[in-house]
Amino acid sequence: MTKRENNLIRNPVFPPRRGTFRAWGRSGQTKLTLLPWLIPALFLSAWIAASETGLIPTYLLPHPLEVGRAGYNYIFGKVGDASFAGRFLGDASASLIRVGTGFGVAVIFGIPLGILSGRLSVVQRLMGTTVNALRAVPGISWLPLALVWFGIGMKTTVFLVALAAFFPIYLNAAAGARQINPLLLQAGAMMGVKRLRGTFAILLPGSMPHMMTGLRLGLGIAWAYLVLGELTGVPNGLGAVIMDARMLGRIDIIVVGIIIIAIMGRLGDQLLTISLRFCFKSARRTS
Amino acid sequence: MRPKLTAISKTDPGTRKTILEINKLRKVFSVNGSFLTVLDCIDFSVKSGEMICILGRSGCGKSTLLKMLAGFLTPSSGEILLNGKPVSDPGTDRCVVFQEDTLFPWLTVQENIAFGLRGRNKDKKGIRKEVDRFLALVGLTEFRDYLPREISGGMKQRVALARVLILKPQILFMDEPFASLDAQTREEMQNLLLSLWEKLSHTIIFVTHDVNEAITLSDRILVMSKNPGRIREDIHVNLARPRKLEKEEFIFFSRKLYEHLCD
Ligand SMILES: Nc1ncnc2c1ncn2[C@@H]1O[C@H](COP(=O)(O)OP(=O)(O)OP(=O)(O)O)[C@@H](O)[C@H]1O
Ligand SMILES: [Mg+2]
Repeated sequence: MTKRENNLIRNPVFPPRRGTFRAWGRSGQTKLTLLPWLIPALFLSAWIAASETGLIPTYLLPHPLEVGRAGYNYIFGKVGDASFAGRFLGDASASLIRVGTGFGVAVIFGIPLGILSGRLSVVQRLMGTTVNALRAVPGISWLPLALVWFGIGMKTTVFLVALAAFFPIYLNAAAGARQINPLLLQAGAMMGVKRLRGTFAILLPGSMPHMMTGLRLGLGIAWAYLVLGELTGVPNGLGAVIMDARMLGRIDIIVVGIIIIAIMGRLGDQLLTISLRFCFKSARRTS
Repeated sequence: MRPKLTAISKTDPGTRKTILEINKLRKVFSVNGSFLTVLDCIDFSVKSGEMICILGRSGCGKSTLLKMLAGFLTPSSGEILLNGKPVSDPGTDRCVVFQEDTLFPWLTVQENIAFGLRGRNKDKKGIRKEVDRFLALVGLTEFRDYLPREISGGMKQRVALARVLILKPQILFMDEPFASLDAQTREEMQNLLLSLWEKLSHTIIFVTHDVNEAITLSDRILVMSKNPGRIREDIHVNLARPRKLEKEEFIFFSRKLYEHLCD
């Protein structure tokens, strides 16, 4: 027997210990880092080819370089140099605040109500029909009403975002709370867990995978309704930029706006996932 | 009538105080409008420090009985007295090791074991010390940072045992806890349970449908009958410990008991 084998028998190799950071990523991810960029790259190549060959006229879709230049100007240019120059910071922060507030309101109502209706059939009966009926109403039908109620601007946008994000958050929290293994609750009760601790120590972690799905869906929808709310004529925000650009016939800026929204939506999703995993053991370990 | 299997065992002094008393316990379920009497006339008492096995075939109501004792189900009639006081809700004085995996999947082995203590306002250091002690008792010190999904079924049942033993319950209920383990692991777990029982002298009610398991573990076996579930016999096992499956007296006893169970 070699020394190494001998060593192995005395100190068997256990799987690595749980480190906070190790658990964030999934193994095997590193080899595939480039894969997510494949589709954007193909898309970009096709766009360049179409522009170079003149297949798509520039008044419909400008050349990528032109869009790039417009984007650079929009983000890094000095305010007042040209129209749209340097507006990025103001627009992005205005939009972020609206998304954040609307999403926050949706979370504050969605999670507790969802958990309650997942656990208590009284609440489920009380809320179920209404929620499902309201859910069937397309968010855009609220726009005229919201405009009348809140006027143009922050409040309307936040209202639309919160309303739209509420449903996936609520429904997934309810599903998560409903599917918890009742034996876990019994085990908790037997170990002396009362109502309040049971909620935070068993109910929330037990429904975490579902809740995370709901939060991510909610945040995605929040971006969609943000732009809808901002299209109504607010002075700043990413949706407002797109609207202004359309009026001025600046297709390049429209494309820049779309790309920025896509990137921010993607980053927001990632940030949400990472911060949930950072804050909750259950998010790190079970989803 | 069949002769009684054995006389009173010598390990049972009979002077210990009664801890659990069950009188005329009955459980009726209503299923689709009709009534199903699952348990009827359950009468027995348990002395402090005893390890009792409840032996019965599948569906005779063993789990239902245990759930009522633990406080998860309310009896249709009859009473359960723990130290003379009626039992109503689940509580840390009566703990259960379930047949299924009921560890919290988002907690590590040591966090699962500490779970019950966290609820009592105890200082962190004290909890840590207790957890270390019980990790060592069930032989899982090496695996303290593992998640339930990363350990085997046998290890999970050790964690399930440790997380309730640490609460020092007055009485421990175990519902076929080793039924899903392979033969060797089951034997290992039985030996572990016996050594813990000797060290910590708990009162244990152990439910099983395995005759040999019942004989290996306990000094007293309650044999249940089916439809409705009743306690048909209260048998004392006076075989010397450690009880080895290969021994002639064990085989003899086991065969006798098996006949009792079957008719
Ligand atoms: N909640 C319930 N509603 C209606 N009937 C039930 C309920 N729980 C158990 N029963 C019935 O009670 C009987 C006994 O069930 P129980 O689970 O106690 O059996 P068991 O002895 O533990 O069986 P096993 O060894 O297979 O676990 C079964 O016939 C079952 O159908
Ligand atoms: Mg059972």
